[in-house]
Amino acid sequence: MPLADLLLPNAIIPALKVNGKKQALQELAARAAELTGQNDRVIFDILMQREKLGSTGVGNGIAIPHGKLAKLGKLFGLFARLERAIDFEALDGQPVDLVFLLLAPEQAGADHLKALARVARLLRDPDVARKLRDSRDAEAMFAVLTLPPASAA
Amino acid sequence: MGTLDTVSIGILLAAIVILAGILSSVIAMRFGAPLLVVFLLLGMLAGEAGPLGIQFDDVKTTYIVGSVALALILFDGGLHTKFATFRSVLAPATTLATIGVVITAALTAPATHYLFGLDWVASLLVGAVVASTDAAAVFFLLHARGLRLRPRVAATLEVESGSNDPFAVFMTLLLVQYLMLGDLPVQTVLARLATEIALGSLVGMLGGRAIVIVLNRLGLSQGLHAPFVMTSALVIYGVAASLHGSGFLAVYLAGLAVGNRPTRAHRSIVSFLDAVTWMAQIVMFVLLGLLVSPARIVDSLLPSLGVAAVLMLIARPAAVMLCLTPFGFHWREKLFISWVGLRGAVGIFLASIPLLVGLPRASLFFDIAFVVVLVSLLIQGWTLGVAARWLHIAFSRFDPILRRVELDLPGQLAQELVGYRVGAKSPYIRRGILPSWAKLMLVIRNETVLVATEAGNVREGDHAYFLAPLEKAPALDRFLVDMPPPAAPDPRLLGDFFVAADTPLGALAEIYGVEIADADASTTLAEFFRQRLGRSARKDDLVPLGTIALLASKVSEGALVTVGLRLAEPEPEDLPAPPAGWRAKLKGLVRRAWIELVRQR
Repeated sequence: MPLADLLLPNAIIPALKVNGKKQALQELAARAAELTGQNDRVIFDILMQREKLGSTGVGNGIAIPHGKLAKLGKLFGLFARLERAIDFEALDGQPVDLVFLLLAPEQAGADHLKALARVARLLRDPDVARKLRDSRDAEAMFAVLTLPPASAA
Repeated sequence: MGTLDTVSIGILLAAIVILAGILSSVIAMRFGAPLLVVFLLLGMLAGEAGPLGIQFDDVKTTYIVGSVALALILFDGGLHTKFATFRSVLAPATTLATIGVVITAALTAPATHYLFGLDWVASLLVGAVVASTDAAAVFFLLHARGLRLRPRVAATLEVESGSNDPFAVFMTLLLVQYLMLGDLPVQTVLARLATEIALGSLVGMLGGRAIVIVLNRLGLSQGLHAPFVMTSALVIYGVAASLHGSGFLAVYLAGLAVGNRPTRAHRSIVSFLDAVTWMAQIVMFVLLGLLVSPARIVDSLLPSLGVAAVLMLIARPAAVMLCLTPFGFHWREKLFISWVGLRGAVGIFLASIPLLVGLPRASLFFDIAFVVVLVSLLIQGWTLGVAARWLHIAFSRFDPILRRVELDLPGQLAQELVGYRVGAKSPYIRRGILPSWAKLMLVIRNETVLVATEAGNVREGDHAYFLAPLEKAPALDRFLVDMPPPAAPDPRLLGDFFVAADTPLGALAEIYGVEIADADASTTLAEFFRQRLGRSARKDDLVPLGTIALLASKVSEGALVTVGLRLAEPEPEDLPAPPAGWRAKLKGLVRRAWIELVRQR
């Protein structure tokens, strides 16, 4: 499943200014609420519920907060690059500056898991992470995230 | 007063020469020149042809100093050899050290015979003198370059060089005796060989044990452990040699016995003997350089070079190929072992024996041996690294050169304190991994000493001290020094996400839509692993849960801490490509060509 199916060009925040994990999640929830027409408070609570089990900071400065939202129509992705890296209680202790938020409808099931795995594996690629950090604007980031990896070309 | 002045001046000159040897090591290291050659040249420079013009022809002193130095070098060699290494290559190494020496000597003899017109026995003597590889040279050059050789090759070379000296000594003494006395029946030779080996081994092993026992039972004062060991090594040499056993074999085995048992003050013994070995090498090489007279060498230089060429290019390779055939070495490995047949001080030292007993033309033997050793050290020593890479014997990664601090803990032998300056790119910093047997004790940060609980996470640039079992301590290096990032890990063993091990299954089911039995809802992941595995989880254990897989990704002190979630099967492009050797490439090429062909039709 290509990432283009769940990430829209307008769901990229090229330089998000936040001071901590909680604020980052609040900002992302607000932006996601804006784009999906859902309640930002509900989104934030769902994300926090997952963070309680263990940080979604998966390492190397990357975090992928996610959760299920009953009333959502389809899978929704939102990518943000933080202007300043923040502590995300990540597994490797490194500060996080690349955040990919993924929300799934209640009934998404296997698609939800596949999409999550896809995002996690894409961002795990050091090349992709480097290109995202080097990009300045939303279009460039969108291209990096949705284009098939260079190795497949 | 005149004699006293001579003594003082003698001491001064000797000390200056040795000092020059020590200082020249800095220069030699910078240019990668074989250090031993530098010592040898220094001795020559100080000698009769050089500016200092020291007249030195005391063969007896040289022989005594050489024996002591060689005994210490071999003891140190044994001390550094792991018993497991020793055993793993015992058969190939001893074949090389015995039959190999005979073959090498026998194949070098014709060169001497025809180039110098010496009779056959004398030619064989020259062959025997240069037949053994030099432990000091091999140990030193292999380690000084930080080369990481294939383990079996490195082990064979080391054990061979440690154990062929006794045999070359035996062969040389035998031939000298034959040249002096004439008649020597075969039975006598064989009987003597058996005695030498048997007595040498016996005295060496018993002596080594005795050193360990005394060291651990007797409360020697701190500074005396190392001198005790060193002197005992010389006693062992003396005892074995006086009983007509092989003294050199005895000290090598004694070193092996001491080095492989836990002893008190192990570190200080090893570092003391390292220093002693350095000193022994400098003194021996300088002395041998002094003994030679350059003017005489020039006379016989060309034919001597011929002998060296025959030894390096024919005799040694033939001996290695023949001896190692039954042991399944690759031809590249055999070629490399042939090339690392470094000659060293042993050769020159053995060549001083004919001088000592006053054999006719003894100085010629000495000159030939000197040139052979010099050529071998220069050419083979200098090209060692190139040869290793060219023959694919070295691993592409160099051993990191690091400063590990090891501290003995008084009163017990099992553990020691190991200190490192933690590298920024070390796996410990990057991924927080540390073997379970190592325990962080102290951190020195910005000149402040912190205990582990105060220090929190270790950061780059900290000096961290770990408690670790003595024999495992070197394995800590890999975790704490800068290493290039490892090749991509197996994606099958990577979690996409991570949760704490005390997470109940119910919470996972809710977020990821995994189906679980109602009864399992409050079971934690740690309990789930234990149920499924029938034991507590170990790192990288994999347990399926519905459509996802759970990975034990962090286990600390036997308890599961973090669980990785693998949400979907790895896709084909995530899996590592099979290693593309030339065979695989060829196969791929053929397959693609075939597919093309079929398509065309």
